[in-house]
Amino acid sequence: MATVQVSEAEKVYIMHGVRDDLRVDGRGCEDYRHMEVETDVVSNTDGSAKVSLGHTDVLVGIKAEIGKPKPAVPNEGYVEFFVDCSANATPEFEGRGGEELGVELSNTLYKVFNNRHSLDLRSLCICPGEHCWVLYIDVLLLQCDGNLFDAMSVAIKAALFNTRIPKVQVSEDEEGGKEIELSDDPYDCMRLDVTNVPCIVTLSKIGHRHVVDATLQEKACSVASLLISITHKGLVTCVRKLGVGSLDPDSIFEMTEVRNTGTEHPVQTHTRTHTHTHTYIYISEHYSYFFI
Amino acid sequence: MAAGFKTAEPLEYHRSFLKENCRPDGRELGEFRPTTLNIGSIGTADGSAMVKIGNTTVICGIKAELSAPPSDAPDKGYIVPNVDLPPLCSSRFRPGPPGEQAQAASQFIADVIDGSKIIKKEDLCIEKSKLCWVLYCDIMCLDYDGNVLDACIITLLAALKNTQIPKVTINKETDLAEVDIEHKRHLQINKHPVSSSFAVFDDTVLIVDPTAEEESLATSVITAVVDEDDQLCAFHKPGGSSLSAEKLQDCITRSVTRHREVGKLIDKVLESTKASK
Amino acid sequence: VPADRKRVRGPEESQCPLLFLPPAAQTAEPREPRAGRGNGEVRPLFARCGLVSQAKGSSYLEAGNTKILCSVYGPREPERRDEAGVRSGRLLCDLRLAPFSCGKRGAWIQGSGERDLSLALSESLHPAVCLHRYPRAQIEVNVMVLENDGSVLAHAVTCASMALADAGIEMYDVVLGSALRQDGGASLVDPDLAEERGNWLAGYEENRGGVTLSLLPNLNQVSGLHADGELRADTLSAAVRTCMESCHKLYPVVQQAILRAVKRKAPPPEK
Repeated sequence: MATVQVSEAEKVYIMHGVRDDLRVDGRGCEDYRHMEVETDVVSNTDGSAKVSLGHTDVLVGIKAEIGKPKPAVPNEGYVEFFVDCSANATPEFEGRGGEELGVELSNTLYKVFNNRHSLDLRSLCICPGEHCWVLYIDVLLLQCDGNLFDAMSVAIKAALFNTRIPKVQVSEDEEGGKEIELSDDPYDCMRLDVTNVPCIVTLSKIGHRHVVDATLQEKACSVASLLISITHKGLVTCVRKLGVGSLDPDSIFEMTEVRNTGTEHPVQTHTRTHTHTHTYIYISEHYSYFFI
Repeated sequence: MAAGFKTAEPLEYHRSFLKENCRPDGRELGEFRPTTLNIGSIGTADGSAMVKIGNTTVICGIKAELSAPPSDAPDKGYIVPNVDLPPLCSSRFRPGPPGEQAQAASQFIADVIDGSKIIKKEDLCIEKSKLCWVLYCDIMCLDYDGNVLDACIITLLAALKNTQIPKVTINKETDLAEVDIEHKRHLQINKHPVSSSFAVFDDTVLIVDPTAEEESLATSVITAVVDEDDQLCAFHKPGGSSLSAEKLQDCITRSVTRHREVGKLIDKVLESTKASK
Repeated sequence: VPADRKRVRGPEESQCPLLFLPPAAQTAEPREPRAGRGNGEVRPLFARCGLVSQAKGSSYLEAGNTKILCSVYGPREPERRDEAGVRSGRLLCDLRLAPFSCGKRGAWIQGSGERDLSLALSESLHPAVCLHRYPRAQIEVNVMVLENDGSVLAHAVTCASMALADAGIEMYDVVLGSALRQDGGASLVDPDLAEERGNWLAGYEENRGGVTLSLLPNLNQVSGLHADGELRADTLSAAVRTCMESCHKLYPVVQQAILRAVKRKAPPPEK
């Protein structure tokens, strides 16, 4: 993962700030940086989104292709993740470094989506046992300024929301052979239900407190973070301890606790849709549900 | 003092023992290390065995899969032996694709299987040019202290004897294979090859069952494989110093006696495994 | 794809015979209720140190049918030299599943699942090892899973920390791993493979998932936490607590195995 050099004095300064709930950039411990979500940014994909979180930039493109269902679940489609760590994002991604991180990130994404409700895979089935939609979710890290996981998950959710899968018709000919016909009308397409798609929240332990959305400098002060992916219902779909340090059980309980009452997470997740006026459409019902 | 001598002058250290007709670990020149065998301990494999010769530990797991027979021999199946020397077993091996030694060992085992016909490959055919068994024999070294080849062959033989494959029929209507997991059969073991390895010190002194250290100091290493009919199935002498015909004959005679011992060991362990079930 | 010339190749394609079971046998899979142990019980653990003669330290662990061997080499000169390794040592973890260790035969080449487990193992061990004591050095932890019958990561962590202790690597504490499978209302501790996979088709119910936790028992610190599936927050907290408890249950067995190895290496002076 991308790192920066932080001197001891700077570390002390950051840690004292966190103790007093005042971070270097003026945020409180539970504040995110300004986030911008733009959907439909890549024209030759079926769904795409770009998320900027501070200086972290993530682009997600989704391609839907027809494939064969997995033998174990013949009536479902499936999702494939690929994370590309562009060498432009940080020099550390050059060569093998980026590849290793890419595998790590995509493996985590598989875990995040390894449950029955995040995506209704049954809706991706075209013809049980024979044809289904396969969603190839490609994540491109353009710029890295900490908190990759959170930015990535929001971008994936936005891109899934944006995804339009063409409607298909399965017709049978006399010999029992099946034929798949794509609808001619480009607007006749299927949308995915993204209500249950989880968002990742990474909490970094700094001193005795934890912060969300840590910058690279803050990350250098933290020995351990906890990644939690959570749905709008408050269901946890993935937890991972990141980093080389350990956490005491109490802080884990504190971090995983979902405060259902109280303030909503102040993430401003806007989606800029591709309309003439570039109007911002506030789709809070889709994105701002996760509570901290 | 002794430890220092051993580290500083390992060859001299060994020579001083060999002069007295014994070896640093207390063995005589012609003595094998104690050999123990454990059969069928891996439940996920179709057949398995683990052998220990002194410290050297090798495990073999056999997985049977279904495939189409080779086009040049439509009435045969496949046996795919591979030896893995993972970094776990010794600091001399690095992670990554198999090194030279592992490749040579795999090829040697494959040659022994083909040469001695442990299993008739015809026996693995289910239906001509349609379906056959593939026996993946993965042999993995867990502790590398010399003489892995002997250990590999013993563990392979014992694992093959332990292997059970389910009954397979081809459904006439659907033309698909049907596997009956309830009815399993053992493989027909046709020949029982057993290998014995030797090391030559200073071009003259012959010792059996060398340890890793002895192997690295020896001028030549030899492996002879014989079967139950006292026939020589394979002989492996990768370079090194030359050896007189007389010494060579000596190796083969010793291999024959070793074959008897190992054969008895495998039978005994198989009996006790059956009895405990 | 260039042909792999470094191995003896089989046919291009082969299938696991279990794919060809008659349809009746596939669906009627009898789900045995935990073979006589309670939901909160761990499987009997067998642990030994110092079995691999060539390694600096090693350990073997058996929990039910899960069998894991681990060896530790080093500290030795690192292969990769960069600035990160100057001030403190590097811990390299490599976990592999033997090709015959699972129901379906595994590949020779390390898959992404194994790499993921290696990373999780490394993250769980890291906090316990005093790496600052080994500047400019690397410590290698090699784990081989000989048979996979569930809870592999948890047991690999325990096994690896025993091997590190056996190798005399300085540590703050041992690391104990424990796994839990949540299946609706039931929390199954130390699940076997069938329990771990659960019944995917019945998985539309909520509150199902797996948790693996690594604990430093004396310092009471959690060095690793991995969970997936779908868990309510309160279930997750309860699962973390249960895992910590079952880690403590393993501790005496692990302690005894390490003690035995230490006594053998340095026998107590006779009186």
